[in-house]
Amino acid sequence: MWADTLLIVFISICTAFLGEGLTWLMVYRTERYQKLKTEVEKQSKKLEKRKETHGDTLDRQQKKKIEREEDKLKHNNRDLSFVKMKSMFAIGFAFTALLSMFNNIFDGRVVARLPFLPLTWIQGLSHRNLPGDDYYDCSFIFLYILCTMSIRQNIQKLLGFAPSRAASKQGNSLFGPAPGQFK
Amino acid sequence: MSTKSKSAEKNGFAKSKEPSVWIRAVSASSQWPDKEEFLDVIYWIRQVLGIILGVGWGVIPLKGFLGLALFVLINAGLLYFYFSSFQSIDEEEFGGAWELTKEGFITSFAGFLVTWIIIYTGLYYELNETL
Repeated sequence: MWADTLLIVFISICTAFLGEGLTWLMVYRTERYQKLKTEVEKQSKKLEKRKETHGDTLDRQQKKKIEREEDKLKHNNRDLSFVKMKSMFAIGFAFTALLSMFNNIFDGRVVARLPFLPLTWIQGLSHRNLPGDDYYDCSFIFLYILCTMSIRQNIQKLLGFAPSRAASKQGNSLFGPAPGQFK
Repeated sequence: MSTKSKSAEKNGFAKSKEPSVWIRAVSASSQWPDKEEFLDVIYWIRQVLGIILGVGWGVIPLKGFLGLALFVLINAGLLYFYFSSFQSIDEEEFGGAWELTKEGFITSFAGFLVTWIIIYTGLYYELNETL
């Protein structure tokens, strides 16, 4: 069982690197993406500063300026999402296929023993496709999701691909701050 | 840690006389002119803490709700002590203590669960199975 557990951790490290590598090839290294990203970051910071200094002001002109900048930022954020979207779809498909392959391989196999009893609404996930009623048994998909959550995010951060805080705080990007995190 | 140095260079703090991030992170009441840098420090401390607690809980072994609750308490409490007492920063500058507590919490929680489950499975369950 332990071999399976470690194998799943290894698999999710590999898929995280693969996902980031593919995204780098298709998105991050393109000039358009880099230009838009710097633009969005710059604007988010500027807007945040302006809001801090003029946030409570009743001055109409300032309010209008803030609104105009918000619009601009929204527009750029949307462009950024569209640049990402195409490759995200491609990667999404590839990963769904990979995931269903792994799902088949680990079908019905207990891959780990949980040291806690999961909440009822998580048991569907943590006990997916497993025989018996022992809810301390852990299924492949639950461990894989947990691994992906921690490993992918950290890899993104280490490589510097994570969306900047200012941008995700201000932005209303189509997919939220961390698109495709669970793929 | 590359993101830290990169963002520092970008904002032009690398050339200033501030000591390196590592030194400032472990010395009390340091100056943090770049907010992102401090948030990164909080983020990475959380991740390391998550792994350490995961290994610890797995080895002891702690089980059940107690393990989860203790993790949340220690993670939030220790980091709160770190930023409010040790570094004594102004929380409001970062949008309040809640924002700082949220920083990297979910990722750290996931990392904690993974290490806890791995160590627990390997050390205790696997052993009982074979005996």
